[in-house]
Amino acid sequence: MSCKVRPALAGATLGCLLLAACGSGKSILEAGNEPRPTTAPVTTLPGQTTVPGQTTVPTAPPTTEPRPIDSLPPCDIAALDEAAADGPVEILFWHGMSNELGRELERIVGQFNAAQDRVEVRLEFQGGYEQTIDKYLQSDTDNRPDLVQMPEYTVQLMVDTQSNVPVQACMEDAGYDASGILPTALDAYATESIQWAMPFNVSNPVLYYNKKIFRDAGLDPEAPPLTLEQLGEYGRAIQSTGAATYGVAFDSAPDGGGGWFLEQWLAKEGEFYSDNDNGRSAPSTRVLFDGPTGVELLTGLQDVVATGGGVYVGENPSGTDAFLKLADASTPASMTISTSAALGSVLQFVEGGIIPGIGVEDLGVGPMPGPSGAPGTLIGGASLWITAGRGDAEAAAAFEFISYLVSPEIQSEWAAATGYVPVNAGAVELDPLRSVYTADPRFRVAYDQVAQTPDVPTSNGPVLGPLREVRVTAASAMAQIMNGADPQAALSDAAALANALIADYNSRRG
Amino acid sequence: MTRDAASRRRWRDAPLALAMLAPSLVVLGAFVLYPLARAFWLGHQRCDPTGANCQSNGWDQYIDVFRSKEFQQAFGVTFRFALLTVPVGLALGIGLAVLADKQLRGMGFFRTVFSSTVATSVAVASLMWFFLLNPSVGVLADWIGGVAKNPGLLQDEGTALWAVAVSSIWANLGFTFIVVTAGLQSIPADLYESAYVDGAGGWMRFSNVTLPMLGPTLLFAGVVLTSRAFQSYGEFDLLTGGGPNGSTTSLTYLIYGNNSIIKNNSGLQAAVAVLLFAVLLVLSLLQIRGVERRVHYGN
Repeated sequence: MSCKVRPALAGATLGCLLLAACGSGKSILEAGNEPRPTTAPVTTLPGQTTVPGQTTVPTAPPTTEPRPIDSLPPCDIAALDEAAADGPVEILFWHGMSNELGRELERIVGQFNAAQDRVEVRLEFQGGYEQTIDKYLQSDTDNRPDLVQMPEYTVQLMVDTQSNVPVQACMEDAGYDASGILPTALDAYATESIQWAMPFNVSNPVLYYNKKIFRDAGLDPEAPPLTLEQLGEYGRAIQSTGAATYGVAFDSAPDGGGGWFLEQWLAKEGEFYSDNDNGRSAPSTRVLFDGPTGVELLTGLQDVVATGGGVYVGENPSGTDAFLKLADASTPASMTISTSAALGSVLQFVEGGIIPGIGVEDLGVGPMPGPSGAPGTLIGGASLWITAGRGDAEAAAAFEFISYLVSPEIQSEWAAATGYVPVNAGAVELDPLRSVYTADPRFRVAYDQVAQTPDVPTSNGPVLGPLREVRVTAASAMAQIMNGADPQAALSDAAALANALIADYNSRRG
Repeated sequence: MTRDAASRRRWRDAPLALAMLAPSLVVLGAFVLYPLARAFWLGHQRCDPTGANCQSNGWDQYIDVFRSKEFQQAFGVTFRFALLTVPVGLALGIGLAVLADKQLRGMGFFRTVFSSTVATSVAVASLMWFFLLNPSVGVLADWIGGVAKNPGLLQDEGTALWAVAVSSIWANLGFTFIVVTAGLQSIPADLYESAYVDGAGGWMRFSNVTLPMLGPTLLFAGVVLTSRAFQSYGEFDLLTGGGPNGSTTSLTYLIYGNNSIIKNNSGLQAAVAVLLFAVLLVLSLLQIRGVERRVHYGN
């Protein structure tokens, strides 16, 4: 055996030496890029720094005019009437809603199919958002569905596939009255003055906390912290009184505390995340999260953890680590920030009685705390996109189904069952949602956050082609900062990589 | 028969041979050779996120990808992962197989238990270890304490790869156990008997009879485990998502992972995949050529 180990070790050492000698220290994104294959302008300059106050000034003049709707695939609503005369038009709908969410969607689709005989919707679960995106991107028109649900971070990616009938075309042709739809939810899916997709399921981050621990620590269980400063104070009070080991549990997941929340926090402070008005007046060329607001924000979060007000639970790849910290029997945390879409599942979990000492009534929900405590939120969740080139009747049928899904009645049922924010304001006045909101105000917190969002450009989140990848870079910075790194340095590194991702994406696009 | 006649005859047989090989050639061509050639071609291109519009970015893309920070780090992670999992997995597999290679009552039960992880998918094994190691509700976290409690073995840069390796070793143990058990059963009993007569003790018999006779089996298991280690994906995806801070971003995770920065960049993904193929090819050749000389195949 010993004779076999030695060559293996020698090989390993040789391999390591070889690698060290081979390494260029450059990013994989630059591979083969001298000279760059396209002449796309790359506006990121070496050593570029963010000047304080620059965040509201676009760094490049808007280069895209509002896109004329006529230049995009049209929507012919009348085509459905003709086709439906010969029997129902079948459409395929891909979605990424798992577990209870998926079952509720199945129920609604069944209800729709039973209620009319013009459109027959076939529902296909793709395994999650990421899988839906991958499969949609890699398929050609024939293999794509007629209707697809896409998460909020894919707006630019979807627009660039040039594969959709914008819902605006259908809204115009059908004379659809969109006044009931929440304006901020609509705006999230509009760029270049085109309404690309219809919001369907809206969520945003909220604060989950343990009221029992608040009471034990002498804090008011009905007044959760609103600012980051209060978040730290509450946490330290909880720790010093021994009510719990930790205050707030932070994670650094790309779609949670590391990436998504950073977008939320900057928006709450009225700051853009990327240049050209978050990429909505022209394609973004660089991110702005390494500016003074971002640095101040993450320094504040670092302080909360460093001074005992909170605990860092890691990158939360499963999405459950931060919640499970509240259920920790020996060293629990008392608060965490997570998506409002989890509320239904969390309550169900608690109701099961698996966690000793926490009952359904002990779980409190408050607005997401921010640097200054300003209300408001960016639209999270997903929207519905109609695929072009699959037939006029199919596109019109998809729109008819969309209209059904976002109607006040269905949004009321959907939101009551899942905890999502209804995208139709009328849903709040209807049962079952009305009684849910009255009986359990915790479900209303996310809705109120949307309703209180100021109508300013920064309230529309960033649209970047590689937004998911950019979130990963921000999350990596967050992880380093939580482990004690210098916030400015970590954010600058992340921003440099994010800018390289944006430049690379823009050079590959079309 | 003259040489000419033989050669003529060989050529006469060629169409028949080709016809008989055709089914496997078609399958091999469609599902292995063509995709491989496509991947190799794609690796020098840059494509838009749909992968439909590609243009050449020069064949030096391969060299630059190999030398890039991300590839080198992922290569290091993958290499260390293989170094952790293969020797330990082999040693444990041999140990369990030797223990269970006794003609005792109830041994069937233990053999079933030891080989049971073969029937466990990577996803199930990973979820099980995820909950065992979870710092808040995991059974192991409270026992071990320290880093296992905060931030957790899977969330500490220093321990994450080890923790994933433990899960992977456990999941692959059934395979090694079965292969080694089969190898043990093919060792003729008279070798043990003559060793016993010569006065060899238990350890002597193990090191001078069992291990050498297991040579071919261990070579096979070693090559398969190494190639599995280099291609592991599910463990990384489910346990760590490539984190913390890239410390478990293996080559496969760099290619497929949701948290990979090249996830919608099929040209670069293909380049990494082809390089992984090349690395594995060289490694398997080295293993087979280097170890084969010491392997005793018996007669």
